[in-house]
Amino acid sequence: MTSASPAAPAAKTRLRLVPLLEPRQSVAEGLRIGIYVGSLLLAVLVSVLLLAGAGVPPGDLGREIMTTAFSSPRALGSVLAQTAPLVVAGLATAIAFRANFWNIGLEGQMILGAIFASYVAIHDIGPESARLLLMAVAAALGGMIWVAGPGLLKIRLGVNEVITTLLLNYVAFNLLLHLLYGPWKDPVSAFPHTEQYEAFEKLPQLGWQNLTWALPLSGLLALALWWAYSFSRLGYLVDLMRSNATMARAVGVPVLGLSVASILGSGAVGGLTGFAIAAGIEGRMTQDFFVGYLFSGVLIAFLGRNHPLGVVVVAFFMAVLMLLGQSLQVFFGVPSALVQLIQAVFIICVAASEFFLTYRMHWRSAA
Amino acid sequence: MTIFRSVLKLAAVGTFATMQLAGMAQAEFAAVGNPKPAVILFGPSNDGGWSQAIDEARQKLEDELDMRIPQAEEIPESATAIRPAAELFIERGSNIIIGSAFGYSDTFKELAEQYPETVFINPAGTTNGPNLKSVYGRTYETQYLCGMVAGGLTKSNKIGFVAANPFGLVNWTVNAYLMGARQVNPDAELSVVFTGAWGDPVKERAATEALIEQGVDVVGQHVDTPTPQIVAAEHGIYGTGHHRDLSEFSAATQCSSVWTWDRFLKPEIEKIAAGAFEPAPYGAFLSIAEGGGDIACCGDAVSEELKAKVMAERDAIIAGKQIFAGPLSDRDGTLRVAEGEVLSDGDLWGMDWFVDGVTGQ
Repeated sequence: MTSASPAAPAAKTRLRLVPLLEPRQSVAEGLRIGIYVGSLLLAVLVSVLLLAGAGVPPGDLGREIMTTAFSSPRALGSVLAQTAPLVVAGLATAIAFRANFWNIGLEGQMILGAIFASYVAIHDIGPESARLLLMAVAAALGGMIWVAGPGLLKIRLGVNEVITTLLLNYVAFNLLLHLLYGPWKDPVSAFPHTEQYEAFEKLPQLGWQNLTWALPLSGLLALALWWAYSFSRLGYLVDLMRSNATMARAVGVPVLGLSVASILGSGAVGGLTGFAIAAGIEGRMTQDFFVGYLFSGVLIAFLGRNHPLGVVVVAFFMAVLMLLGQSLQVFFGVPSALVQLIQAVFIICVAASEFFLTYRMHWRSAA
Repeated sequence: MTIFRSVLKLAAVGTFATMQLAGMAQAEFAAVGNPKPAVILFGPSNDGGWSQAIDEARQKLEDELDMRIPQAEEIPESATAIRPAAELFIERGSNIIIGSAFGYSDTFKELAEQYPETVFINPAGTTNGPNLKSVYGRTYETQYLCGMVAGGLTKSNKIGFVAANPFGLVNWTVNAYLMGARQVNPDAELSVVFTGAWGDPVKERAATEALIEQGVDVVGQHVDTPTPQIVAAEHGIYGTGHHRDLSEFSAATQCSSVWTWDRFLKPEIEKIAAGAFEPAPYGAFLSIAEGGGDIACCGDAVSEELKAKVMAERDAIIAGKQIFAGPLSDRDGTLRVAEGEVLSDGDLWGMDWFVDGVTGQ
């Protein structure tokens, strides 16, 4: 501490504190939850202030959100309907990230998945009873084909997969446009989407709200991956490879095989994301069914720490944020730009909380 | 499947319509009494084009009908986004839901069946029912008139056109634009570039600059942003706008093909309130006279003589003149409309051909 000279007024005496960062060796569960909750509370506080500035009284806000957005089965149904594709998108990304393969090509893989599934639907391939299964298999195959090239380039030549997977999104989109404005234009309306799938080509309704089987199936996929990563030998080896590939190879872990499996697995689930939307939500392939899922997928995988169950939880909250944005617009007439700002505040707060989980911060005086 | 498809094609000649004829037989829609409309916008309400045109109509209606009309903007064309937005409004007491995108069509159809007490109106939609009506304008009429302006202004006889996506409702504006231009200038040629996106300022700028390099000196457009007009002004050439009066963004704009949604929606809302909603199996396909649109014309560069010609043609169209009247052949020489006939609405929606003088990329 700087010593104050007796002549100087007390105000001149300044205590300058600087942070000192120390990486945490381990994080207690309570602290983890505390930090997450704290970041959410901060986000709520900032959002309420922003909205108050825009003329929404905080009291009204709380009441509206609690009574309207979360209490009715209809609202919960809407959130869950949006959750399903986000879960699959987050899983597709997490599988790749977990193996240190930065797959930024989710949208391309979704498009190829939907194209392959639509091909099966349009050309009536296979018996009606097996049609959906065939569409799903085709979608997974399409996604795998689209990620295989960047995977091969990365493994054999060390080409940066961020660039290759990202650019292939544009190739896939142009392929989609070609099909929708050309051979696959809707024969009924001449508008640019495929014809409607037959009833047996859509994921069946659950019978509650407007939910389809996309929701339980995405949950099952998350459970299966959770089991694989947490309890199977495979998951252990993938994590070993992720933390140090050279060491893993030295001790005999089949690094090449695991990388290939993870990359193709990510592509396959990416293709299934396209299938989940085309067959589970839209009932046909539309021109922009994939828009936004790339960034959502990366965000969900990141915030869910590439953990399958974390992905499910984060996907649910993402869906809540999206739907909450709508109710803010509908009920309070706030512009959508403000809604997006609030969504960003939540995401930044949660993302920033990672920092406090990774580091312990000591305050030292800078003498 | 192919047979199934051709049957469908025949059945849906109107095609403004994945109409389900069975649905049309349902009972007439009852009066809603106290109308409470709400608007769901596909784009941001200040996009300068399509969405803003609907938003401006909403504001006019608020004044004229003396009511607040809430809206939600930037609701993407995905069932998971459209449905909750519409349902929030309905729970909140709205009984007339106004959409703004063809990607809303399937979801609006489902919602209309689920909420029979609510009327759904969807500009640019394709589905219809007892309480659901899709609406679009005969934009070829207004683009034809702006094409006349372009034809009169061009010195090089090379006109450019920046278009979004190549299908019926865009292709007809391309064709009509050149037909209008040729009416005042038979030597006019039209180069069209499709950007593949409804609103992508970057691609629109690249497309406009490429056209200008090819020597065009007037640029027309059918995209959602005013970018082509802004680029035209930067290069000191003229242009014509679409969706709204784009002279607000660019001094280059000499004519705009504009929406006048309030002219359609005001009487429509009043009819719904009075219990006189008229379902239409093929939706409403509005001419200038029916409130489908109009032109904002003309800029300073347009001579009084040219302006008089355009306005006289506008009067003729309002009085019933048809743009796609036979004999009309496409650029490959195939006869598309026989002598004495007029292109059907179904063929308009399915238009995948261009008239002589149109050059693609």
